[in-house]
Amino acid sequence: MNTHAWATISLAISGLVLGLVVVAQWLMRKRGKALPAIRPLPAFQNLQNEVKQAAESGKTIHIALGSGGLSGENAVTSLAGLQVVEALADAAVAYDVPPIITVGHPTLLPLAQDAMRRAYEQRGLAESYKPSMVRFVAPTPMGYAAGAANQVAAGGVMSNVMIGHFGPQVSLIADAGARLGLPQSAAAASPGAIGALYPVTNRLAVGEELYAAGAQMTGEHRYLASLTAQDILRLILALVILVLAVMQS
Amino acid sequence: MMAQIRNLISMLVKKWGPIFIATITGLFVLIGYLFPNPFLVDYQGRPTELRDVLVGWAVIVAAFVFVLGVFNIARVHGGRVLRRRRGWFYSLVLLCAMLLGSIPSLLGISTRLGGDVPIQETLNYLIFDCVIGPLGASLAALVAFTLALAAFRLLRARRGWGDVILGWFFVLIVAGVLLTSTPLVGLDWLPLALIRHEAVNVMGMAGMRGLLLGVVLGTVITALRILSGGDRPHSEF
Repeated sequence: MNTHAWATISLAISGLVLGLVVVAQWLMRKRGKALPAIRPLPAFQNLQNEVKQAAESGKTIHIALGSGGLSGENAVTSLAGLQVVEALADAAVAYDVPPIITVGHPTLLPLAQDAMRRAYEQRGLAESYKPSMVRFVAPTPMGYAAGAANQVAAGGVMSNVMIGHFGPQVSLIADAGARLGLPQSAAAASPGAIGALYPVTNRLAVGEELYAAGAQMTGEHRYLASLTAQDILRLILALVILVLAVMQS
Repeated sequence: MMAQIRNLISMLVKKWGPIFIATITGLFVLIGYLFPNPFLVDYQGRPTELRDVLVGWAVIVAAFVFVLGVFNIARVHGGRVLRRRRGWFYSLVLLCAMLLGSIPSLLGISTRLGGDVPIQETLNYLIFDCVIGPLGASLAALVAFTLALAAFRLLRARRGWGDVILGWFFVLIVAGVLLTSTPLVGLDWLPLALIRHEAVNVMGMAGMRGLLLGVVLGTVITALRILSGGDRPHSEF
């Protein structure tokens, strides 16, 4: 079988599992049964509280969305990062803590700005929204990391959140936060970024945990369903690998 | 009545329109990838696929988004310069550099009107070779130092015994791989290459594969959620 056939089969299985999980969870909710609980992830657990603390201290939070954009292979990783912005936007507006959001690819700029604008409009504070709270820093990973690190080091930041596509250069941003003793949360999928972030923060979401940001922070059913589907697919994949290994040995 | 019509149009444009366009376009591109079948003809009369046309449109839109990015930089740093905020001088330098950097591209427009091509190319090389390249290299060197600093912090900051053991294990593995990569005179009898191979190609690759499989699953499920309209970052919902 060629690559296209494998891709079609795996996508069909993934779609089928996701569809079945969505239906099963809908039925469970209808019958009043409890939905599966999600494992707490330290990277996302305390973020809402940090917005509150930032409001109390008169500071803000910095959210680095990485150098990935919507036009490449890191699009989904960047969108997962955007879920954190969406989840925090409401709290940020409620506590009047306009976050500083830095992006390293201009395609993320309108999406992040839109998420913030919607949060302000929903609270009836459209006039308080400032597009400059989302900042395009630089189109290269290194330039982005240096610029975002400068945003953190410039002061006025209470908490540093790094979620999205990063390379090892993320250590520049994390180092700026560590020097100021800021609480730092991070989520990354690439091995280079995980290696750079692991020594800096205990609150690190690794690999697939990045895609659990929405479920963890909002608890919405659509995110819970996709997490369950992800777990089932992982189980299937592990079984397939085991069977193939046994067959080949 | 007018207000109701306005609301309806607003709902269609802001809520349903983006979802419809994103879902249909995404499905066409996906189907085009899974079942490649050129049934369109491009402007030069060559057979082309619908997904290529759609991706081409997306590239054009993305190019305009870069212009938005430049405006965003100008707005953020221009505001900082005008209000004389902390670090305003660096913002001024950035704006000047941005203007200088755009000169070769502007000359590119003039070349179409009969300008000098070699001058534009020389300026481009000058900016990349003498400014962007060295700056990137020096930042990369800085990354090496921040990584080393982070490794020391790892040993200091982790509290539990588990973290300490894991931290030392991490440092030992890194040190082991670095040492075994070096030709150590007089220690040829040690199976250094084997140790390095086991650490990098067996332990490292096993962990990497597990990580990447999880990432792929997360990516596929998130993409399916967006395609099915379950996740709508582009809509007012």
